[in-house]
Amino acid sequence: MEAMKIMLVDDEERFLATTQKLLTKKGIDVVTATSGAEALETLKHKYIHVVILDVKMPGMDGNDTLKEIKRQFPLVEVIMLTGHATVESAIDGLKSGATDYLMKPTGIDELIEKAREAFRKRLLLEEKILMAQSRKYMKSPREILKQAEKPER
Amino acid sequence: MKQNPYAGLKKVILAGMILVPLIPFVLVLGIGYYYFTTSLENNTIASMRRIVQDHRQMIESFLMERKADLEFILNTNSFEDLSLPDKLQRTFENLQKESHAFVDLGIFDESGLHVAYHGSYQLSGKVYDQAPWFKAVMRNGFYISNVFLGYRQVPHFVIAIAKMNQGRRWVIRSSIDSQIFNDLVKKVRIGKTGEAYLLDAEGIFQTERRSGGPLMRKDPDRPKYGPVHEDIKTFIESDAHGETFLYATTWLKDGSWLLVVRQEKADAFKALRQASYLIVLISVLGGGIIIAVAFFLTGRIIRRMERMDQEKDQLDEQLIHAGRLAEIGEMSAGFAHEINNPLQIIKSEYTLVEMILTELKEKGELKQSEELAELEDSIDQIKLQVDRCAHITQAILQFGRKGEPLAKDIDLQKFIPEVTGMVANKAGVHGIAIEQEISDQVADVHGDLRYLQQVLVNLLNNAIDAVIARHGSSGGAIRIESGPAENRHVEIKIRDNGSGISSENLKKVFTPFFTTKPVGKGTGLGLSVCYGIIDKMGGSMAVASQENVGTTFTIRLPSAK
Repeated sequence: MEAMKIMLVDDEERFLATTQKLLTKKGIDVVTATSGAEALETLKHKYIHVVILDVKMPGMDGNDTLKEIKRQFPLVEVIMLTGHATVESAIDGLKSGATDYLMKPTGIDELIEKAREAFRKRLLLEEKILMAQSRKYMKSPREILKQAEKPER
Repeated sequence: MKQNPYAGLKKVILAGMILVPLIPFVLVLGIGYYYFTTSLENNTIASMRRIVQDHRQMIESFLMERKADLEFILNTNSFEDLSLPDKLQRTFENLQKESHAFVDLGIFDESGLHVAYHGSYQLSGKVYDQAPWFKAVMRNGFYISNVFLGYRQVPHFVIAIAKMNQGRRWVIRSSIDSQIFNDLVKKVRIGKTGEAYLLDAEGIFQTERRSGGPLMRKDPDRPKYGPVHEDIKTFIESDAHGETFLYATTWLKDGSWLLVVRQEKADAFKALRQASYLIVLISVLGGGIIIAVAFFLTGRIIRRMERMDQEKDQLDEQLIHAGRLAEIGEMSAGFAHEINNPLQIIKSEYTLVEMILTELKEKGELKQSEELAELEDSIDQIKLQVDRCAHITQAILQFGRKGEPLAKDIDLQKFIPEVTGMVANKAGVHGIAIEQEISDQVADVHGDLRYLQQVLVNLLNNAIDAVIARHGSSGGAIRIESGPAENRHVEIKIRDNGSGISSENLKKVFTPFFTTKPVGKGTGLGLSVCYGIIDKMGGSMAVASQENVGTTFTIRLPSAK
């Protein structure tokens, strides 16, 4: 099975560093970004399954970043991380396509669990897409060639 | 001072309430009194006049009758016949049958010679040609004298009539016993002091006066009656004794006698005086009642206004309180939010430390020692305290929550028993009976089920704690009531018979971080969170409590439909 790749996005660098260390120790592949813009940039170059995204950030905030991610990379699963325990900010996120939300301060185990859930969802989705594509290819093998011309994801 | 704003108002209301009824009251009494007294006075005077008139008629007719009696004798007998003593005696006896007032009878010739006489005295043979009465009768044809005592010292007066017969003029004269005449005049009685009497032109009493005034004396009040006048005169004057009388006078006998009818003014106007007393009494009583009622009503109005003001003050206070709570909510929400970020870092760092420590132990680089155990304990404390902080910030954020939670219609008839079931076990352990009375009229409410549940559980737990504090493990009771309230609202009441809340603390129960529990046992956020939740549901929450009696929390929520 493919290994899960996570990206942490938060303006608190110490949080990023420590959490990265923790996740690495747990054997999870993690990259970090300190802003929404940086996160989007990273997504262009790296293959990421799950993004854990802080809602409140200077510049482009969590919800804006979420919308942009979903627009550009619809398959990426996003978990919102909110310091504001209001359900409505979480609802906003869920409505914009977030998979789930975490409330600060969150434990590492909880974080990993939610990430894995999102990852499983992602895999399931990919599998479905693959199945659909393969059915299409079986009908018309030329599609593979067409598909190969486009860079995937 | 609270009293001051009403002092001016009180005066105005009081003045209005006294003057408005008092002015018409006084006017009615005054006008009534004026017309009543005027008409009573007129009536009294009119009745006096009538009495005088009747009396004059009576006296005049008495004199006329006596005069007619004599004229009859004169016309039916000749001078010669009457000059005979026998004939004269028979005539006199007939005359006395007509009236006992006749005392004697005498016949005079032209020259004034007393020709014949019948009576108690021997008067015949005397000549009266120079006597004033004889001159008068010869001149006028008749004469009625004033009252005099005469030889007999008995009051009487005389009537004399002259007649021309067969070329000679002669006169018949008779004395009238004035006692009969006296009684006739005197018998007038009006009220207690009313009396009538006759005076001659000089003011000599011709009849007795009941209140003092013997015959033949001079009435000292004569000048007050004035000169001879026509008809009847009425006036009010003081007499010689200083008493004030109402007088009615008229002249008789062509101005030689004065008939006086008088009554003491106080007696004549007795009804008037009684009416005055009555009016004074009514004025005092009525005025007193008006003033008393005015004071009573003004007092009530002012008290009512004061109470309304107090209620308004209370309401203002509640509104200010609610506003303050909302401000605190927003502020603390922002604060909690900012605290959560550092907390997140601390938690991550802690996890890292713990992980590294575990790794080191696994590698065997750290030996078990007292210091290591202490370090681990310290790290555990960090975790514990971070979790505690996290718990507090979560609660604060709930209190200051904005917007509508995940809302749906909640059926209170099902919901309340469910919530009660959650605490039933805890209550049962402490011997607390939880009663429920949920009206089947109660409508659904709209809101987040979990939050409403949190509110009710919180209130029930508080109630249980309060009951345990007062009763220990028996005798506690908690009652939940729910039913419709006015304005399409629903009311939920949670009542306990626990230790209650002091009035000082009662003001602060909804304020965040206010707690009476020991440090670490309560955050002081429970009720403020409840308040925040109910507020966001569009409802309101109130508390009433009395120490050592119990506490009632009342939640009012808008109906869903």
